Amino acid sequence: MAEMVIKNGVVYDPKNGVDGERNEICIKDGKIVDNVGAGAKVVDAEGCLVLPGGVDGHTHCAGKINTARIMSPHDMRYAPVAGLSGPEPRTKLLRPQVGYNTPNTHGIGYRYSKLGYTTIAEAAITPMMARHMHEEFESIPILDKLALVLLGSNWQVMQYIQDGDSEMLKSYMAWALLASRGYGVKIVNPGGGSNWTWGKNVSGLDDKVIDFDVTPADILVGLAEANEALNLPHSIHVHCNNLGIPGNITTTLATMKLLEKVKASQDRQVMHLTHMQFHSYTGTSWMDFASGSDQIADYMNSHDHLTFDMGQMIFGPAMTMTADGPTEYRNARMFDAKWSNYDQELEDAGGIVPLSYTPQHFAHATMWSIGLELALLVKDPWKVMFTTDNPNGGAFVNYPEAQVLLMSDKKRQEVIAGFPDMTMDRISLPNIDRELDWGEMTVMTRSMPAKMLGLDVKGHLGAGADADVAIYDVKPDKVDVSVEHEAVKKALSFAKYTIKGGEIVVQDGEIMALPKGKVYWVNAYENGIVQAEKDRLMTDLEERFKKYYSIQLSNYMVEDAYVPRPVEIRPEVA
Amino acid sequence: MQTVTLTPKRSPTISIEAEMITPDAFAGKSAAEIGAIGAWEGNEEITLADIFDVAVDGSGDAADTKIIIDGDVPRVKRIGEAMTAGEIVVKGDVDMRCGALMSGGSITVEGDADSWVGREMTGGEILVKGNAAYYAGGGYRGETCGMRGGKLTIEGDVLDYLGEHMCGGEILVKGNARLLPGVLNWSGTITIEGDTTLPGGEMKSGTIFVKGKVLEMLPSYKDEGTEEVDGVMYRKYIGDLSRNGEGVLYVSV
Ligand SMILES: [Zn+2]
Repeated sequence: MAEMVIKNGVVYDPKNGVDGERNEICIKDGKIVDNVGAGAKVVDAEGCLVLPGGVDGHTHCAGKINTARIMSPHDMRYAPVAGLSGPEPRTKLLRPQVGYNTPNTHGIGYRYSKLGYTTIAEAAITPMMARHMHEEFESIPILDKLALVLLGSNWQVMQYIQDGDSEMLKSYMAWALLASRGYGVKIVNPGGGSNWTWGKNVSGLDDKVIDFDVTPADILVGLAEANEALNLPHSIHVHCNNLGIPGNITTTLATMKLLEKVKASQDRQVMHLTHMQFHSYTGTSWMDFASGSDQIADYMNSHDHLTFDMGQMIFGPAMTMTADGPTEYRNARMFDAKWSNYDQELEDAGGIVPLSYTPQHFAHATMWSIGLELALLVKDPWKVMFTTDNPNGGAFVNYPEAQVLLMSDKKRQEVIAGFPDMTMDRISLPNIDRELDWGEMTVMTRSMPAKMLGLDVKGHLGAGADADVAIYDVKPDKVDVSVEHEAVKKALSFAKYTIKGGEIVVQDGEIMALPKGKVYWVNAYENGIVQAEKDRLMTDLEERFKKYYSIQLSNYMVEDAYVPRPVEIRPEVA
Repeated sequence: MQTVTLTPKRSPTISIEAEMITPDAFAGKSAAEIGAIGAWEGNEEITLADIFDVAVDGSGDAADTKIIIDGDVPRVKRIGEAMTAGEIVVKGDVDMRCGALMSGGSITVEGDADSWVGREMTGGEILVKGNAAYYAGGGYRGETCGMRGGKLTIEGDVLDYLGEHMCGGEILVKGNARLLPGVLNWSGTITIEGDTTLPGGEMKSGTIFVKGKVLEMLPSYKDEGTEEVDGVMYRKYIGDLSRNGEGVLYVSV
């Protein structure tokens, strides 16, 4: 493959200690290398910002989004973000695009690429739904993908935890990743999804799960220990109990403390907490509801075993879709909104509700502030991932909007000025003047997500990394983001170049090429589980499938044909 | 004053998307310029001159522009979409979504209108002298707010889901309305002079008058006795209680 060299760029590569230096980036055979020959194609960055390709470590891009599309035919005409939403006709190169919160699969690939993102993690899929998710992955062009597999309300998991059978739990976790060609373990409202089968929920870490002698705390610790025993590249990835409920900060802090006792098997967090904004509420009702970001930040600043992502809210229409079935029922009733409900047999619940967030409502204004407060109050950017929980908090095409908010106190104050008075004593954002610099922003959008996921080849520009590079029409040494935030937002929305695997896929904000992305998955089963334990698991699973599942074990596993460009990662066996 | 006369040249069998037939788009243009405006016939791009003879008399801005479609155009969709002012008169039938999103001006359809006439309109007036099909004054698929303002009058009958998800404005049907008029309504007023079936299903608020008979009544409405409105005696109902609705349904006694 041809060689390439990016010259005259201002490079930020925090993992390798590069902070705004005019380094050359050399590319050969889709990888970053130290040198290239004289004949290498030259990309002149002209003093512009050069970053590793963006890594979205938590997004909802395949799976439930299909039902969301069916529920929201009107979403296809929404176009609040010019050039990145709404109907776009077919071109010689591109398929037609529609939508905003739930774009068509091709639109997802094009639009992430325009933002300079090159890797995305689908954050919630049951093994049962995985085959179709991979079919969707296959029609999302350009991007590399991976999937987090829901295990937090799974009957097998709860049975093995109840039995105290840590070997079976480990075997099943490894097998579930294999069966779904998944990358890591996701836990949503542990136990709550199972109780939702009976129209119930759990109210905290110590409730019993109906028909199982386990609690959400048992599930979290059990899965975390199995995750570490298998030496998986990613930690458990957790959506806490009590999402969106005033006072839920108690549960969130208890969950954070609970994991202090589990040791990480490698140099990373032992738990990632997702969309923290939705879990950082004080108060006892919506009347006295307020931001608890200071308490979360205090804990994060004094402990090193966790990471989290923001779940930043974006004003306007959003699409909430989660395995947290009871939460979606509550949303639908509270807002008199459309509702879709999921029963995923033994594996989890789920629901979908379209919502809209407005700065005129004090609760929404407070939630918007909390996301930003969390990112700004936690000192170490390596503990914070930038997300909107796309499209739950807002559509990913708004990432530049929220990124600029983190970099410009002035822009934040402009938005806050429009909030109702009832918001002001509930938030601390007006008094936070921190503005992220380019290095910190690069950590939160690239380097940290890659490290958190354990993807060594992503999120940096050192030799051996995948040649995924984003170049933006921003001159970091000349621009004052705090003041010129609109121009920076525009530049971040339409990359000057996005390079994926050494190929120019975006130039001047337009898609140039449509390579197919890879799918990363983790095989901890093959080498990680001994034959006797595999046999024991299969004997039990055969019985359980016969008894409880609507499909047969032999039809269950995602076949290789569904993952044509896999990158199989085999963790070292402890 | 500008008068634009479009005379149909043929009877297409495939629907034509013609959302540019509005006073706003035609104002100040010559016959040649209007004839050159693009439209879609199925997946083929055509011009208005391919389907109409275009004649223009005088010149004016949108408010001062009258469009006459001199004949039946049962396969031409979206006539008058999003128009803000002026007048359209169709001397025959129209296809779907006539007057969708219109905010001002007036449309008269002398024949029948297909489904979604006046969809999401916010202002202006539509008069259909014949019948209208489904979702007259309704919403876009998936949206939760349909017609928001203006007035829609249908002199004949309508099919199901009249004024679905209506959020404001006024609808008058002089004939009968089939199933579920005012379904999922938030606001606005619907008057049906003929008969109808299951009015106001899941209505949250808003008002429906039925001057003919209700052939089948939803069980989730509360009888509030009789009340006289504008000299007519009605039985008054509140609902739809299945959605904690406070809509008012008046049925002639
Ligand atoms: Zn999520």
